[in-house]
Amino acid sequence: MISDEALMLEFQGGSRAAFEELFARYREPLYGFFRRRLNRPERAEDLTQETFLAILHAVNHYEPRALFRTYLYGIALKLLAAERRKGRRDGQGVGSDPEPTTQDSPDAALWIRQALARLEEPEREILMLREYEQLSYVEIAELLHLPVNTVRSRLFRARMALKNYLDPQEETHSVMATRATESVAALGTEEEAQQ
Amino acid sequence: MIKNHPIEPEEVMAYLDGELSPERAAAAGAHLEDCAECQGLGAELRGVSQNLKQWNLALPNGRIADKLTAARDTHWDEGQATTTAKFNWLNPLRLRFPSLAWIGIAATILTIIVISSTPNRTLFQQAAPQRADLRVAPGDITAFGQGDGRAPAQSASPNAKAIDRLERSIQLNQPPAEHFTPRNSDSAAMPLPTGPMIIRTAGVTIITKDFDPARARVEGIVRQHHGYVGELNVTGATGSGRTLQATLRIPANELDAALNEIKKLGRVEGESQNGQDVTSQYVDLQARLTNARNTEQRLTDLLRERTGKLSDVLAVETELSRVRGEIEQMEAERKTMLNQVTFATLNATVTEDYQAQLQVVPPSTSTRLVNAAIDGYRSMVDGLLSVTLFLLSAVPSLLLWGAILFFPARFAWKKLRRSITA
Repeated sequence: MISDEALMLEFQGGSRAAFEELFARYREPLYGFFRRRLNRPERAEDLTQETFLAILHAVNHYEPRALFRTYLYGIALKLLAAERRKGRRDGQGVGSDPEPTTQDSPDAALWIRQALARLEEPEREILMLREYEQLSYVEIAELLHLPVNTVRSRLFRARMALKNYLDPQEETHSVMATRATESVAALGTEEEAQQ
Repeated sequence: MIKNHPIEPEEVMAYLDGELSPERAAAAGAHLEDCAECQGLGAELRGVSQNLKQWNLALPNGRIADKLTAARDTHWDEGQATTTAKFNWLNPLRLRFPSLAWIGIAATILTIIVISSTPNRTLFQQAAPQRADLRVAPGDITAFGQGDGRAPAQSASPNAKAIDRLERSIQLNQPPAEHFTPRNSDSAAMPLPTGPMIIRTAGVTIITKDFDPARARVEGIVRQHHGYVGELNVTGATGSGRTLQATLRIPANELDAALNEIKKLGRVEGESQNGQDVTSQYVDLQARLTNARNTEQRLTDLLRERTGKLSDVLAVETELSRVRGEIEQMEAERKTMLNQVTFATLNATVTEDYQAQLQVVPPSTSTRLVNAAIDGYRSMVDGLLSVTLFLLSAVPSLLLWGAILFFPARFAWKKLRRSITA
């Protein structure tokens, strides 16, 4: 199989087929990258599109100094940061959808999302880049401008913390807490309606 | 580190992720086989990864693919990947030229002139051969071969022929045509060197007893090796030896042979050789040239196809002029570099081995008499000429002062004479 970097160079030389191949390889992972980090599915689609458009626009400036994946997710991270800044300015939340579309059961996704939400932001980002984007430690270090050893220790801390959060007992507490919150909220709504 | 364990917990994780160096991975693998505690840690870490995999996402029914495909196709149609997005490129130009309204009528007239001249220039650039001026290279003027009766513009000089050979030998690196054809054919035909490009320079200093034959031989060597003389100076005063200093341009592949032949002209006093690798500079120059031509093509297309505000058109014209200036400058630089690579420079200095001669025979008596007569005649003529010149220069002034002082002097003289008489 031709490497991503070779495809990118072919694309730089004018090959449309090379871009088609890169597009086919990364459209789904890239959509997943944005979808797991954003509330609105349509924004995830838009940002996926914008990432590929950014690659199209900047193809002449591409230099194969690093892996294409690092280059691609570097653009994606910048777009995501801009989206989050915009969301904060507009007062909208940009976190993950409470009930994201999943192939498996929604309960499982919610359980994992709640556990991930309890992690510190830098550790969560490293963990997600490793687990979902399958980036190496070095690639993550390059993307986040961190030393490789820092990436490794944060990833270890994140995994150990997540193990505790995903513990069935923890999960039970979490689900119960969620249900209690929902009950309180529902009670409040009923009281308001009665008043 | 886990107590009494040779590897740290983080290394267990890195081992499972395949991120350890081979040595550490071997140590970790060996330890994990025996250590139940570390095996438990590994199982926990694997469990976390397995749990995270449950959060799978799917593309929403191909919607995104369609959306992206449409955006990509649109973008491609608008001028391949290098075109700037949504034509926002005008924004910086607008910032650079915030208001051109005050130009008024003058700007309108200028725009009409510029727009009317643009298609002609573009057409000219497309029709003109890319290396037309290489046919009339500087070497044609001083090349010894110009005595063959052919006009320089009609015959390809050795210089131009050699450069053509070099460019033909360079492999073309064209993008696949089945999917994408660059709009600018220049960029597709831009050659890239397959081997190193070296600018060679050599110098040699020769002492010879037979100066004139040596000079003729230098010229013959240059002609024989299809080179040309860049510069040639002969200096020498009476009572000293003559010196020939020449800058010879020899085809690079024949430099060694030419140098050896020149060294045979006399005793070698000094020799030097130098080579400068300019491959990366040439490739970089070509890349910049290709980009500039693409930019020029896009600006030309935009000017032709799009209509907008007057200020925008003017801004595009200004940018186009700037880009074209850059292209001409880079093209000249590229040709100069090619010429330097194709023709090595040989600086030859040939000095005559001068032997002073003593004048022992005196001149004859008749010669001395004739010389004395000639000298006397010259002295007489020079004396007469000097007196004549003095009179011509002094008489007008004497006449003027005489006329002015005549009457006062006569009156004073008469008065003096009367007083004496009385």
